Amino acid sequence: MSLPRSNYDPRRVCLTPFPNWSLGKHKRTMGIYLAGGLFALANWTFLDAAILSAHAHAPYDDPQIPPPVHVAFVDWLPGISSLLGMLVINLIDKDRVRGEDGFGDSRAVWRARLFLFIGFALMAGGLAGSVVVLVLRYVLPEVPEEYQYYGYANVSQNIALMLSSVVLWMSQSVSSEYEYNLSI
Amino acid sequence: MAHAGLKTVILLSFVLAVGFLMIILSCALWSNWLPLLVALIFVLAPLPNALFAHCGGDDFTADYEGSGPVDLGRFLTSIVVVTGFALPLVLAHSEIIRPGACAMSIIGGSLVYGTILAYSAAFKQDESDFD
Repeated sequence: MSLPRSNYDPRRVCLTPFPNWSLGKHKRTMGIYLAGGLFALANWTFLDAAILSAHAHAPYDDPQIPPPVHVAFVDWLPGISSLLGMLVINLIDKDRVRGEDGFGDSRAVWRARLFLFIGFALMAGGLAGSVVVLVLRYVLPEVPEEYQYYGYANVSQNIALMLSSVVLWMSQSVSSEYEYNLSI
Repeated sequence: MAHAGLKTVILLSFVLAVGFLMIILSCALWSNWLPLLVALIFVLAPLPNALFAHCGGDDFTADYEGSGPVDLGRFLTSIVVVTGFALPLVLAHSEIIRPGACAMSIIGGSLVYGTILAYSAAFKQDESDFD
């Protein structure tokens, strides 16, 4: 029988292939800016829905019936879950997850992977929860078109939060080349 | 552009004044002073970068472009800039301010922020000569 390759351990469930792209220094900066922009865009998309719901009224030429749904606390829960997941993912030291057992104890790597899993589960739970909220609160009761926007805003908030987290992770795990600019 | 002259200063201050004029007009014409927040946001936008710029460590560390506080400052700056553009749009979408006020405050805000960026780019001091 052949020994497993050193970079592939069959006992490992959670393989983390890091994209070692050789991005330049400015790509990293651009990635950070892009992640921040996506983060703000995500939260403003949902806040737009919430503010719109708070100021919702029927059209002026229609009979004044109150709007059928409002943004409630249930709508905030997927975004909060995604935010927590993003926080957990970005608080992890990325060298620990990469699994170099040489330094520290080996339990630290295991714990780092556990928290990484918890973070990804929170983000995926947020995305799934937003889809659940969209279907159960806005699509199935067949509320009018302009109120289904709340649900779609919720889903796009969570997608943008996930994209922001991905961009942030990639731009932070860019292996910076050793540059010795010793100009004396 | 190390020796940007007096004309640059006059031009930039003129553009800054036009930007503030647009924002204040967007508030005053409809007597709704919420868009004034845009001016505050764009003035505060370069603050995180300025605060965290000196946490980057010295030139001899290995990852001299990528330290955590500098990244945090860039992240916060980007959030604040996008907030400045998104706030008038959200307010106009909810019919709290008029679309005209939204457009004027966005144009004024981008003029103000562009002035700040151009100023810091034109008058950037070459610090690497001294160490």
